[in-house]
Amino acid sequence: MTDETAGGQEAGADSDPRGPGSGPRSGADALIELLAGLAERTAIAGRMLPATTEPLLRSIVEATVTLFDAEAASIALHEAVEDRLVFRVAAGAAGAGAIGVSVKPGEGIAGYVFAAGEPLAIADVGADPRWGRDAAARTGYLPRSILAVPLVDDEGSIGVLEILDRRGGSFGLHDIELATVFARQATVALRAGRLEQDVAAILRSALASFTSADTPSIQETIDLAIERVSHDDGMWRLADAVARVAGGHPDPDRVELVVELLEALERHPGTRAARGRVAARIPFAREGL
Amino acid sequence: MIDLPAWSQPFLAANRATLERRGPWGRVGRDWAFGDGTGKGVVVAIVDSGVEVDHPAVGGRLTASVAVELSGDAATIVDATGEGDVVGHGTAVAGIVHALAPAAELVSVRVLGADNRGRGAAFAAAIEWAVEAGAGVVNLSLSSRSEAYHGLFHDLADDAYFANCVLVCAANNVPGASYPSLFAAVVSTAAHEVPDPSIWFYNPRPPVEFAAHGVDVDVAWRGGSRIVATGNSFAAPHLAGYVARIRAAHPGATPFEVKTILAATADNAR
Repeated sequence: MTDETAGGQEAGADSDPRGPGSGPRSGADALIELLAGLAERTAIAGRMLPATTEPLLRSIVEATVTLFDAEAASIALHEAVEDRLVFRVAAGAAGAGAIGVSVKPGEGIAGYVFAAGEPLAIADVGADPRWGRDAAARTGYLPRSILAVPLVDDEGSIGVLEILDRRGGSFGLHDIELATVFARQATVALRAGRLEQDVAAILRSALASFTSADTPSIQETIDLAIERVSHDDGMWRLADAVARVAGGHPDPDRVELVVELLEALERHPGTRAARGRVAARIPFAREGL
Repeated sequence: MIDLPAWSQPFLAANRATLERRGPWGRVGRDWAFGDGTGKGVVVAIVDSGVEVDHPAVGGRLTASVAVELSGDAATIVDATGEGDVVGHGTAVAGIVHALAPAAELVSVRVLGADNRGRGAAFAAAIEWAVEAGAGVVNLSLSSRSEAYHGLFHDLADDAYFANCVLVCAANNVPGASYPSLFAAVVSTAAHEVPDPSIWFYNPRPPVEFAAHGVDVDVAWRGGSRIVATGNSFAAPHLAGYVARIRAAHPGATPFEVKTILAATADNAR
């Protein structure tokens, strides 16, 4: 039994050392998977909207205020590190005070809608004295009515769209359903931006892995990764992402690793045709950092 | 033309003619369906933001409070006695159920406040716990859109159904699928706009099968207060209350039979 098992592993390793079911995952497998995931996400992000989503979000809340004839509208986004919902954009004279205000997921109206994933409309908000006092203290404005809908897609909730004080009366079912359409627009825009951030996060993990002693060389990893993703031009997307991350955030600790990765990429036979194209996007790479 | 999700649309006044329903047995009398109308002996679990134990609307019927704690994807149930309701929503739901089934026992399972990434796991753990704890009705005014939890929720909805527990779920008006609110094994609920808690409709064209009072509902809220609120999440507990009445009057009825009675006693049944 032991011999058979060992033989099976060897045979698997001979035929495809990185294939599924060919034995325990090695460090190389994990890195390849990471890089492949990075390349795939970057490819998706490349097909979607540019990273700058804030103007689009602002236009969404402005359109929301106009369409609903509301006093204010705002969008709060979930910041994963602090696990807080932070109001990022607002429209309407009464909305400005909300920017920068943050709440815990699951607490308050916005927190509930974010955590439950269900839209909610409240009329006569002032009837809850504690809520009213809290909100007024934080935003300088005490609304009469609130409609909150989650910014949600198949990946989960990423924030909340909140509309305050519709001038024509309280919010009804049709308002809730229409607000979800605006929320969907915001979600699509945000998700594209978040994909870019994901790329940076995955890249950081990948680069951190390269520094540990028992992982394969960068060159070896790149060789394997390119084999895995070359069918979809994914490696070029990866290279672009690396360039963007390094160019946008010249953190000395990360730049060295990024440059090392780019150099390995450029040395790879499969990437030779575009030599210089990647590094050219990072000014400090050309300066030999 | 905007493509609205519109789970409530079939139930609005302009569209209700299409709900005309002549079931094979005609309309069943609510006196028979509800018995004494108190929900006595039935446990209703409120999976939500917690419940304020001393809120007048809850009528002292809250007998237990637990919360789901997450560590990564691992969920554990912990005692949450005295922790109340950080939002007010769970208290609103409990108040609606209590108003319709005043003798039913209420149990709060708090899931909100959990880390967003583990939310689906927290919902799942809450449902599982409530079913095992012997709840005859579980009100879920929340849902997950995460495809990753589709299979798990589907299994849980079926497990509850086979374990003789009725899950009453608010349909999510956010576009796309939501779990478990659109599964056949649950009582999926949208809101109608008639200002009357005693009116509900059955929709013979699923996925959303029922609609109840959910617009400008006077509900209990935190701090002993009341507010006026709108949403499918306030429609679901109306049906949870009626399910509690049916279960108390007909303890032998299965979830399938309870749903049938709900449909046969709906206002559009003839």
